[in-house]
Amino acid sequence: MASEATPAGGETAARGGPPASKVRRPGELVLALATLALGVFVLVEAGGITVPGSTNTMGPRAFPYLVGAMAAVVGAVLVVAVLRGKYGHEEGGEDVDPTAKTDWLTIVLLCVVLVVHVFTINVIGWPFAAAILFGGASVVLGARPWWRAVLAGLALGLVIQVVFGGLLGLSLPPGPLLEGVAIFRG
Amino acid sequence: MDNLTALLEGFATVVQPVYLLYALFGVFVGTAVGVLPGIGPAMTIALLLPLTYSLEPTAAIIVFAGIYYGGMYGGSTTSILLNTPGESSSIVTAIEGNKMARAGRGAAALATAAIGSFVAGSIATVALTFVAPVVARWAVKLGEPDYFALMVVAFITVGALLGSSVSRGLASLSLGLFLGLVGTDTLTSQQRFTFGMPALADGIDVVVVAVGLFAVGEALYVGSRLRHGPVHVIPVEKGWRSWMKRSDWRRSWKPWLRGTAIGFPVGTIPAGGADVATFLSYATERRLAGSRRHEFGRGAIEGVAGPESANNAAASGVLVPLLTLGLPTTATAAIIIVAFQSYGIQPGPLLLQSESALVWALVASLYIGNLMLVVLNLPLVGMWVRVLQIPRHYLYAGIILFGALGSYALNFSPIDVLMLLAIGLIGFFMRRYGYPVAPMVVGMILGPMAEERLRRSLAISQGDLTYLVTSPFAAFAYAAIIVIVAAGLWLQHRERRVNAELEQLVEDVRAAAPTQEVSR
Repeated sequence: MASEATPAGGETAARGGPPASKVRRPGELVLALATLALGVFVLVEAGGITVPGSTNTMGPRAFPYLVGAMAAVVGAVLVVAVLRGKYGHEEGGEDVDPTAKTDWLTIVLLCVVLVVHVFTINVIGWPFAAAILFGGASVVLGARPWWRAVLAGLALGLVIQVVFGGLLGLSLPPGPLLEGVAIFRG
Repeated sequence: MDNLTALLEGFATVVQPVYLLYALFGVFVGTAVGVLPGIGPAMTIALLLPLTYSLEPTAAIIVFAGIYYGGMYGGSTTSILLNTPGESSSIVTAIEGNKMARAGRGAAALATAAIGSFVAGSIATVALTFVAPVVARWAVKLGEPDYFALMVVAFITVGALLGSSVSRGLASLSLGLFLGLVGTDTLTSQQRFTFGMPALADGIDVVVVAVGLFAVGEALYVGSRLRHGPVHVIPVEKGWRSWMKRSDWRRSWKPWLRGTAIGFPVGTIPAGGADVATFLSYATERRLAGSRRHEFGRGAIEGVAGPESANNAAASGVLVPLLTLGLPTTATAAIIIVAFQSYGIQPGPLLLQSESALVWALVASLYIGNLMLVVLNLPLVGMWVRVLQIPRHYLYAGIILFGALGSYALNFSPIDVLMLLAIGLIGFFMRRYGYPVAPMVVGMILGPMAEERLRRSLAISQGDLTYLVTSPFAAFAYAAIIVIVAAGLWLQHRERRVNAELEQLVEDVRAAAPTQEVSR
């Protein structure tokens, strides 16, 4: 327990920052390069914006040029900083375990669940797609047994459908199964 | 004195039973969501935006006022009982409040935070009542270049001061500015950065970006490094009597007032928002503590009372530039602007005239919400503690679900939810590599406004760039940037030093008394 709830555990990570491990180097460099690339891209693309003949003084290209220049300069500064070994302090938080390594599988699975949710909304209706999203995400994050998470998701989906769709008039699609039930429609 | 009349009319609106219910609902939901760990006020409002889509503007604004203040209150409960701040502005509260809770004085910490927030909130709302109309009258006289200068000030301070690294803050800001560019140019109706996609012609919805960054990004980030195992909440003794002893009152009232006096002005200027205010208050209390100075870092009640008051007073202060200039100086304020805009209301100098009834109803509901909060909060601590114990897998799954609902409900189009995921992934990587997300949201909202001001200025001056700096106010604003950034960076440096000192202190105390930590 003493080690579990060490006060300011998450904070140490946020403030002092853990020693920058070599493992984090490529990702952070990629992000800095992405900022630089975004800046260059904006600068190049801004040249392609059509300027109507009627435009006097400052047209639709000028501000994008400013933004692109800013991103490019900041990106270049960051690339240099990262290459010289100056890393960012990753964010801490209540539920963040500062000693844990990034669990990429969880990220991928959460994204998959969200994508499945998106494509099922119009097929099976919002409440059931919500059950998939909530149940799936909580199982990915460690909820056991899985059927309890799914049931909780289904209950949550139906309640939200009744409150937002039925009472507040948000047009969430109830899906073919509940189409005829009045309380699920606004 | 027409302000008072207008305010009274605002009260007359708000005390209608149905609006009182809305206010109650707002503070209740705001506190409940604010108590949830990892959820700050910005995320609370972003997540709850869809709740208000179907409400009429007045009701929605009242709910928002409640959520805004409620989220602030909720955060202090979390930081005291978990010592893991939801809002960065309560970090210092976390250190002192959590120490107090561990020493069995959790109820006193919660009470001084709640009452201090009430005192600060009330005084700051009074100040808002009188300051806002004055600022609005003055703001009407500002020209286009003055507004542009103000926005540049906001960009620089938000980019440089929100977060620990200036270059990363500015990178986040430029990403937000870029997202703000996507869509159809308002002045020439040319498409910019839409890649020929009709879905992008209207621009990217700010709600999707805000929810994606704050809710989905946070859930992904926490999910990637989730602290497994049971949640440990420090138990709080029951009963009214133990809340605050006489000595606690005596030690708290001055910090409450000092915190308010620091928080409100700092909130009104674009200088980093509540973070800076809480830190300044903490540093002040520590310096003034005299013989009690050694208690700081070990559970000094002044270290909770002052910063918490400063936090809430700053929250009201932020509303001054927001309502009178349309200038968001924090991420939360940026999201409130979005909420206003979704009702076709544009905050700015004319708001107090054009939407007078609405603004004063908002101010009146701040008074009432504040009162409701102090009444609600203390007796319901037991309930908030149970909220704190929600299993984390359900909590973050729920955050993702509400985020998905909010962006889906914008246009009932699945594309928005896919966009949400994309933004969420950006948010994840930004968190992982220490890029603050708040400047991105502010940049996206303020960017298009700034561009419009800049182009109108240059249209007036017929391309003469010196017009931008010749007005006295604009010149003053550009000069102020240097001062504000220098002061802000100095403060950050100090803050880091004090924090390091405190952590050292915490370590020492823990090493000296290992048994105390485990007592439960």
